[in-house]
Amino acid sequence: MLSKDSSTINSLAENFDMSRPAVSKHIKVLYNAGFISIQDIGRERHCILKQDGFKELNEWLAYYDKFWGDKLDKLGALMNDKMNKK
Amino acid sequence: MAKIIQHQLFYPHPPEVVWEFLTNQELITQWLMPGDLKPIPGHEFELRAKPMPEMDFDGIFYCKILEVVPFKKLSYSWKFGPGNGELSNSTVNWMLTEKDNGTELLLIHRDFADSVNPLMFNSMEKGWLVLINKMLQVINAEKDGTAQA
Repeated sequence: MLSKDSSTINSLAENFDMSRPAVSKHIKVLYNAGFISIQDIGRERHCILKQDGFKELNEWLAYYDKFWGDKLDKLGALMNDKMNKK
Repeated sequence: MAKIIQHQLFYPHPPEVVWEFLTNQELITQWLMPGDLKPIPGHEFELRAKPMPEMDFDGIFYCKILEVVPFKKLSYSWKFGPGNGELSNSTVNWMLTEKDNGTELLLIHRDFADSVNPLMFNSMEKGWLVLINKMLQVINAEKDGTAQA
C-alpha cells in the first residue's frame, strides 16, 4: 500500500537518462529541500512526494480568488455609494 | 490548477473615478485594507490584514509599485509570508478600459512563486530545475498510477 504513494530510487532512475548515482544525487537535493521524504521499505529505498508546499499554494489561490471577488463587490458598492452622494 | 487569478467587472463610473479608488489609500482602506499605497513607481508599501496562523500568514502584504499608467494600468508586487522573513511572491495587475459610459476593470493576480524554499530556486541553475521538475512529475505520475514503472 505504501508503495502506491512512493517510488523506489531504481524505478525513478529508469525514467531518466542518468546513472543511478546521479539520480541519487538529485534525490538528495529534493530531500534536503523538503520536496520528498525517504523511507526504507523492505530492502528498497522509497521516495515519497511531500505535497505540503504544493497544497499550500493551492490553498492560497483558492483564498485569493474568493478574496478578490468579495473585495471587488465591495469596491462597486462603495463607488456607487460615494458617487451618488455627490 | 492554474496559478493565475482573474476577475473582470464593469462599473458604471468613468476610469478616472475607478482609478481614484485604486490609488487613494483613504478610499482603498474602505474597500480593501489599510496601508500606505501611493501610485509612484518604486514606492514600497504594506497593506495590513488579519493574521491567519493556519495559512502561515502574518497579516501583512509587502508590496512595491511596478507600473503606473494613469487611468489605465497599475501593477504592484504582492509578497506574503509567516513573518519569519520568508516571503512568497506574486504580482497584482489592474487594467482599466473605458466602455459604455463606465469602466471595465480587469484584475490579474499572478506570478505566484512556490513558497517552498524559494532560496533553493534562486541559487539553482535552470538545468537543475528542469531535472527536478521532471523528477517530481515522475513521482507524481507513479502516485497517480499512470506511469509504467
